Amino acid sequence: MKDHKRTANGRDKERTNGQQVSRVSGLTRRGFMSKAAAAAAFTIVPRHVLGGSGNTAPSEKLDIAGIGVGGRGAGDIGEVSGENIVALCDVDFRHAAGTFKRYPKARQYRDFRKMLDKEDKNIDAVVVATPDHTHAVASMMAMKMGKHVYCEKPLAHDIFEVRKLTEAAREHKVATQLGNQGQASEGTRLVCEFIWDGAIGPVREVHSWCNRPISPRGLDRPGDTPPVPEGLSWDLWLGTAPERPYHPCYLPFNWRGWWDFGTGVLGDIGCHQFAAIFRALKLGYPTSVEACSSGVNSETAPLASIVRYEFPARGDMPPVKLSWYDGGLMPPRPAELEDGRRYGDPDSNLYVGDKGKMLNHRLIPEARMKEYKKPSPTLPRSPGHHKEWIRACKGGQPAGSNFEASGPMAEVVLLGNIAVRMGQALYEKGLKLYYDGPNMRITNMPEANKYIRREYRKGWSL
Amino acid sequence: MKKKKISRRDFIGAAATAAAFTIVPRNVLGGPRNIPPSEKLNIAGIGIGGRGSGVLSSVDSQNIVALCDVDWSHARGTFKRYPKARPYRDFRKMLDKEEKNIDAVTVATPDHVHAVATMAAIKRGKHVYCEKPLTHSVYEARKVAEAARKYKVATQMGNQGQAEERPRLLYEYIHDGAIGPVREVHVWTDRPLRGLNSVYWPQGVDRPKETPPVPETLDWDLWLGPAPHRPYHPAYLPFNWRGWWDFGTGALGDIGCHALSPVFKALKLGPPTSVEAICTLVNNETYPVASVVNYQFPARGDMPPVKLSWYDGGMRPPRPDELEDGLQIGTNGALFIGDKGKMLGDRLIPEARRKEYGKPPQLLPRSPGHSEEWIRACKGGEPAGSNFVDHAGPLAEAVLLGNVALRPELKEKMNRTRLLWDSPNLKITNVSEANKFLRRDYREGWTL
Repeated sequence: MKDHKRTANGRDKERTNGQQVSRVSGLTRRGFMSKAAAAAAFTIVPRHVLGGSGNTAPSEKLDIAGIGVGGRGAGDIGEVSGENIVALCDVDFRHAAGTFKRYPKARQYRDFRKMLDKEDKNIDAVVVATPDHTHAVASMMAMKMGKHVYCEKPLAHDIFEVRKLTEAAREHKVATQLGNQGQASEGTRLVCEFIWDGAIGPVREVHSWCNRPISPRGLDRPGDTPPVPEGLSWDLWLGTAPERPYHPCYLPFNWRGWWDFGTGVLGDIGCHQFAAIFRALKLGYPTSVEACSSGVNSETAPLASIVRYEFPARGDMPPVKLSWYDGGLMPPRPAELEDGRRYGDPDSNLYVGDKGKMLNHRLIPEARMKEYKKPSPTLPRSPGHHKEWIRACKGGQPAGSNFEASGPMAEVVLLGNIAVRMGQALYEKGLKLYYDGPNMRITNMPEANKYIRREYRKGWSL
Repeated sequence: MKKKKISRRDFIGAAATAAAFTIVPRNVLGGPRNIPPSEKLNIAGIGIGGRGSGVLSSVDSQNIVALCDVDWSHARGTFKRYPKARPYRDFRKMLDKEEKNIDAVTVATPDHVHAVATMAAIKRGKHVYCEKPLTHSVYEARKVAEAARKYKVATQMGNQGQAEERPRLLYEYIHDGAIGPVREVHVWTDRPLRGLNSVYWPQGVDRPKETPPVPETLDWDLWLGPAPHRPYHPAYLPFNWRGWWDFGTGALGDIGCHALSPVFKALKLGPPTSVEAICTLVNNETYPVASVVNYQFPARGDMPPVKLSWYDGGMRPPRPDELEDGLQIGTNGALFIGDKGKMLGDRLIPEARRKEYGKPPQLLPRSPGHSEEWIRACKGGEPAGSNFVDHAGPLAEAVLLGNVALRPELKEKMNRTRLLWDSPNLKITNVSEANKFLRRDYREGWTL
């Protein structure tokens, strides 16, 4: 029945002689939707039969479902609410209440698996903004059903998941976008164009940091076991993660610092910060990574850490060292930065080239920026990060942070966490981690490989 | 009283009866008395539990004649070890009363009491061995060093590593040109942390709210000394005062004077031109969990300017490429980056380079031992390696200046500049509000 509704609505196109035929009537989409059952007769080929995602003409609206719709999820859905928000899923109805209210016609779910099963015919795309440990299973299920996916950073919880998602996006030919919206900015383009213009010469060193007091870290597991609040399905919230008792210290937001669920500040912010670096310097996998931190355990990420990657030469670009800092740490203030000018604006990148330095997308000192003859723009500008995805879903060019483009970067971010977790062992053994990116393997410390892929709780699979 | 051979210690015990023999009281001379090497010093200890107890052991070849501690429970073991030493709670009373009986003092109180105790002793012409970091504030370090010069007393700061072979070897490699001119040094410690769940002492914590009663054996008011009043809490003592701004000097204060001493000596560093600090986020009452402090030093003679970075709380510089896989960089360490090579502590890296280089020619005399240096100096010998005037004062000033840069009140400023340091005038020239952290106000009743 739902198949019929959809095609009647004109968004599932009949493919005839390579032509797409649109059948939109004068009815508004939303009005029409409610009459879906009556429209059954018009169906020609249901979307799932076509394999891969259905094409949607730019003039038409996507039907989008949200998975994880409180907090950041609410923001993402707001960004795509120019389309139709038809279904919403959250394991915590308290946290999702505001979003449910804002989209009263969207059908409500607790379990994304049930939602996807039930709404398969009604949705074109999903927005995934669950805690990190659920990203992969939700995104993968959607992609396998041919849905386009917008997934929050850092794409997934561990490297193996990221790799599989990247492969699946390619295989299922869906439009994807990682939630690192900064990649769409003018600044990211300027960084690329300046560096490619030789503004600071070959770049051998980059420093990247985030110093916002984001999530509690440096903690041990709580001993008390308060009751699960009404409205929350704790078992679903746990999802793939190992069983543990509910505690309010994990949600709604603070899971970010807990290894079983989140990926620390690096996972949270690294994909934002690294986007410009990876694009401008054409980075792939690093050869090595090491980390030091203010103390790490098996429960939470450290309060502060420094992660140091080494990347090999790429084409005519020399090897480069990339250092990540969080928890208040930064590289030393560059001599080029004028006295009185703010340095630590909490998320920043410092590019050190043979012929100069850039703080984010500005050469320093400012006098140098002013005298610099900027190159003409060579990169296309973005209509906006979420709009890129919408455009891609409707047959346009791939979004800037589609999974194939952003997957390797997300893997590198997550590799940093492995170095943090192995920090003490690395110190004791007198090593840094050597990494074989294509094979997802740490070559000189076998025990570190357990963090490449985690075990799922029974009942969950990718 | 024991008869037969009268030992020096017994003699001291009989000091009152000995008055008749006195010809010129020591204090009238305006300086320490001359003590021949064959004679023993009479030493008083100020702060004698914990590290203080160790310091006394290292000098108890001499006579330990008086002991002072505000916490008699913590001091019990030391009192017991030196049963003839007269016990005190208040170092001011002890110095008043024992003035004629002592030549020298060891000071191993918490950091916030170092300066007042040391200064009181120096002004009486007593030689002083004071634990690192010499004082709590930059101003105090300057004043104490000036006084040591004026009163011509023998001094030594408690950075005992300076007496070892390793800093000498480092000096000799550097001055033999083994790694060329040095422009960059990284120094680190794992303190105050050992890891997440095991610490040397806590930092990055807030002031406790509860006010448990003061233990009977502790004089809390004396323990506070010149520090602002606050209620007693076991969070502060006997050891954990190190992490609190009002009492201790953090990881940099605790370890900086050890770890930076060889750097200062090998590179002949004086005062820095600038300092900046970067640290974790919570540090209003206590020093941060982790910090990085970056100093710049000017050229010295034919040595080029040098950047010195300090790391604590688990932070470290990157592993140098020259260090072979399988070799640790060290929980505490120093990495010297020269134009022609690198040294990890006193070791050229890589190992092949060290082997090929061989040993540099010996340029420095070796030490009889850190405490022995001081005892020798007290008896008219050459100044000790970490005497306040030539080494410990300037070193401690630089260390404590780093703590000024770490002040939470300056965090926003430090985001916009580094502190520019005018050492001769003891002044931060570009951030006027930073200057108040060079010197602290003492609680009423206390002066330097």
